Amino acid sequence: MLHATTLIVSLIVFSAVVIAVLVVRPAITATRGGKILAFVAMFCLPIFCGLLGFSREMGRAKTTAFCLSCHTMEAYGKSLLVDDPTHIPAGHFQNHRVPPDEACYSCHTQYAMFGGLKVKLYGLKHVAIYYFGTPPAPENIKLYEPYNNRECLHCHLGARSFEDGVVHNADPATLPAIKSNQLSCISSGCHEIAHDLAHLKDAKFWKEGK
Amino acid sequence: MLSMNPLEKRRQFAGLCLAVGLVIEALCLLWATPIAFVLFVAIGGSLMFLGLVLYLTSLVNTGRSDRRPEW
Repeated sequence: MLHATTLIVSLIVFSAVVIAVLVVRPAITATRGGKILAFVAMFCLPIFCGLLGFSREMGRAKTTAFCLSCHTMEAYGKSLLVDDPTHIPAGHFQNHRVPPDEACYSCHTQYAMFGGLKVKLYGLKHVAIYYFGTPPAPENIKLYEPYNNRECLHCHLGARSFEDGVVHNADPATLPAIKSNQLSCISSGCHEIAHDLAHLKDAKFWKEGK
Repeated sequence: MLSMNPLEKRRQFAGLCLAVGLVIEALCLLWATPIAFVLFVAIGGSLMFLGLVLYLTSLVNTGRSDRRPEW
């Protein structure tokens, strides 16, 4: 991944140098070849570099390390290591039910059209609040929208553990209610323990990688 | 030094915006933090967009000034 960044940065610097030459010596663009060079350098290359860079930044913005690099998110990162399988984020992170290097994004994106872009815009809002507003205490942070079952069902729909689960099938109305988002997966009595920051100080933690 | 020709001047200004935008994007790619993501999108992206629009406008205007009268 470091090589990819180096390559993209090299291409960007190359484009910037070519553009700088055209700015300093505009006479180059008087000839047909110069006009073609100017078009490539000032239109094609910047768009190509911009898209490559944006894709790289978006990829990086999905990583767990990126989300947890904000001080406000520290406690949420710690909650991934709680040694209790009933803690949904901890169970998913520690058992690799989600890619551990993209743990936050995997559960908090929206598996819908432009969902990834929408959650990144929410992320920009977080950063704006962090730098220009008053960020709430970690335990007071709320989701912008109620958690949608669609995000859980993206992976669990069709899985034997979900479809044939005893509790899910105890009442014939339960499974359709879950699938239609009428009954939340994280509702009381079900998979309700998400990031339980209030009890974090008393929790036992998994020693990662040992 | 900016040219005296208005079209060339506009193209140079477009080039400056693009070059500065690209340098900002390169720096942001080397600095992996959330604020770098914001700078990449907000500052780098805006400068690139402005540069591209100015360059394309200058191309359109060049086409117009090159056109010969019909009569």
